[in-house]
Amino acid sequence: MLSIENISKAFGGVQALNNVSLAVAPGSVQGILGENGAGKTTLMNILFGLIRPDRGQIRLNGQSVVVRSPRVAQQLGIGMVHQHFKLAPALSVTDNLALAVGRNFVLLHRASFRDRIAALARSLHWAVDPDSVVGQLNVGQQQRVEIIKALLGGGKILILDEPTAVLTPQEVDELIPAVRSLARAGITVIFISHKLSEVNRMCDRIAVLRRGELVFAGPMGELSAEEITHRMLGAPSALSSLGASSASPGLVRLHLSRVCCPLPGTRKYKPLLDNIELSVRAGEIVGIAGVEGNGQTTLIDAILGSLPISSGVITLDGSDLSHLVNFRRARKFACIPEDRQGQGLVLSLSLTANLMLRSYRNPEFMRLGLRHVTAWRSRAAMLVRSFDIRCASVEVPIQFLSGGNQQKALIARELYGNPPVILAINPTRGLDIGATAFVLQQLTAARQRGAAVLLIHSDLDELLAISDRVMVMYAGRLLPTNWPAVDRAAIGRMMMGITPQAA
Amino acid sequence: MNIAGESLGTFLARQTVQAATPLIMAGLGELLAEVTGVINIGIEGLMLMGCIAGYAAAGISGSGGVGLGAAIFAGMGTAAIFAGVTVWAAADQIVAGAAVNILAVGASGLAWFFYQNAREAVHRSVSLGRHVGFQSVAIPGLSRIPFFGPMLFDQYMLFYAAIILAVLIWLLLHHTRTGAILRALGDAPEACQAAGVSVRTWRTGAVLFAGACAGAAGAYLSIMRTHAFASDMTGGQGFVVLSLVIFGRWTIPGLIAGCLLFGGINSLQQILQTTRYTSHSTLMHALQHIPFEFFQMLPYVVALLALATLSRSSPGPRYLGQAWRQ
Repeated sequence: MLSIENISKAFGGVQALNNVSLAVAPGSVQGILGENGAGKTTLMNILFGLIRPDRGQIRLNGQSVVVRSPRVAQQLGIGMVHQHFKLAPALSVTDNLALAVGRNFVLLHRASFRDRIAALARSLHWAVDPDSVVGQLNVGQQQRVEIIKALLGGGKILILDEPTAVLTPQEVDELIPAVRSLARAGITVIFISHKLSEVNRMCDRIAVLRRGELVFAGPMGELSAEEITHRMLGAPSALSSLGASSASPGLVRLHLSRVCCPLPGTRKYKPLLDNIELSVRAGEIVGIAGVEGNGQTTLIDAILGSLPISSGVITLDGSDLSHLVNFRRARKFACIPEDRQGQGLVLSLSLTANLMLRSYRNPEFMRLGLRHVTAWRSRAAMLVRSFDIRCASVEVPIQFLSGGNQQKALIARELYGNPPVILAINPTRGLDIGATAFVLQQLTAARQRGAAVLLIHSDLDELLAISDRVMVMYAGRLLPTNWPAVDRAAIGRMMMGITPQAA
Repeated sequence: MNIAGESLGTFLARQTVQAATPLIMAGLGELLAEVTGVINIGIEGLMLMGCIAGYAAAGISGSGGVGLGAAIFAGMGTAAIFAGVTVWAAADQIVAGAAVNILAVGASGLAWFFYQNAREAVHRSVSLGRHVGFQSVAIPGLSRIPFFGPMLFDQYMLFYAAIILAVLIWLLLHHTRTGAILRALGDAPEACQAAGVSVRTWRTGAVLFAGACAGAAGAYLSIMRTHAFASDMTGGQGFVVLSLVIFGRWTIPGLIAGCLLFGGINSLQQILQTTRYTSHSTLMHALQHIPFEFFQMLPYVVALLALATLSRSSPGPRYLGQAWRQ
């Protein structure tokens, strides 16, 4: 029996956890639900000894324990599978597992160690090759290695921190029975997620956290899905309220005509972009659906000019862009890039500096050629307020903000000031329901103000929810659809390369 | 052609191993440190500290063993400074390593000055006594094998130690939990932390071990292969060690192969330097017109070429040179 009693923790003025108490029965699967930043990961890090709580205590089988470090947690039988795996990619599975258990400076009995790994894997109905190099395994297999690692040392409590976020749907389907069989073997599993459907299939009991407070704890099935969502968000989901626009689109702003782009470095004619025809008009959202890797990133690179095109014309408001230098060209677009941490933000700079990256050259933000500190500060404060960016201070490096707040900051910078053309690639990836709704609302609001929006998104439901026109990208080609006259399944088939005549 | 009563081949083989011994010794330590993610370009300085400490301690105590012990201690002590600055204070490893090199030049020069004064004050010779330094140790029986005997079984004690150490480190790295930890330290320190292993403590241990190895390699130069000290006697060998670790792609067999290759070319150039004046062949005669510095340069040119052509595909430990902040 694991019980958490009155745990509180604050980080620099933000109350991450407030008086949380929870009891978990042995051999059960406990789901912990909540949005990003609700405190789920903080609570688990406290259980695993990575963070010390400000107040409160943890009891294990009635005894009060102080989890000073991960090592102490492991000695107490608590194992954790982190969202970002703690594996050494250059080492074999066996070596990674040896790292976690065993004694130093004695020869390893590889054969018997392999047998232990194989036996544990078999009991979970997994095939794990102990000799393969971890870096060559796919994410799902690496996760299995992590779970085996947590159990190998005799772990009785297993914490899984958003294990499904990195998995394909098939891998999720394989994980669920494995977790159930762990529970049958008497192991307590704590499963963190913000996806209700998975929690539904896996857990015995759930606990819901919102803004650091426990708002519900009880058996699965006591609350309906709507009620759980309601408690997680505190307000009804906003996704349904987003509809297609009623406004009629205006003039064509961005136009691509017969754009081709060869595969770099090969003579073989296998284009990355094959005769792309695309136009985005003011006041509409054009959605491009597609399985990732079919040329979506190349398309954005071609529009922004970071990748040369071999033929075709790209025009913005009727004028050819090809003569413009890259950075002048990129400045004409508001862009929410796919890789927000690498391309969108400078992680080591403050929130203020990141918010000013687009506009620091404006005269109103300069004084004597230097930055106008007060003007910067007031603009940052205004954006933080109107885009609801949660932070301890606008001066903290942006890397210390949660993923959702980083994305809000990026969107605040790019969408403020009514940009006429917006490019967005997977803008809600990794965000929770609340932040996702916020991002989609911002895009529809921009459309309402007359912006031309090109949305490339791998989440089909969100794409279909807000796009006025939908196209499908497959193998470098862009195929138009009659959305909303065709159904979702037809678009799904086109994404797989099955081209129907009617679509 | 015979040299010192041996055929040229046998002589070259023996000289090759003699030249390679300090490189192997220092290389083993550096390899271990680099595997854990710490690159110490101050290995040259650590060797120099070993040279002077070994020479002075042997001279004062009259015992080669004490000299070797002092050299190991000096190497570790200097490495401890490096570890404190890079592993604990998270300073840049390249800058700190360069500082160690400069520090060692000054410190060894100062120590040499004090040693000379101290010897003169007690009216004793500055040079080592007849039986103080190490002599090569021939293993009975095995050393009589033609060619391989003189090459492998009539060497200085440190060569045997280096080979035993190489086998032990190889076993440690690939067949123990400790080895998994060491390799993970350079590949994914966060995985070590998650396993309850202190990244800094372990890296410090590896750096100290590398310091001990470099110190011993320094002692080899001043009290084994030669019985003398000169302020520039390491002559860039510490830097060669760094390139040989890369050349060997962070593997022990690769490192040893690289050391033998470098040692071989170095011995060959020394033989060329001397025999070109004694031989009567036209080729040797022609070589007399080339300045000896050219020959001295050759091993380094070969090392550079080997690095440029062979090490392209070896990425090395992922976290090499990066400090770990918890």
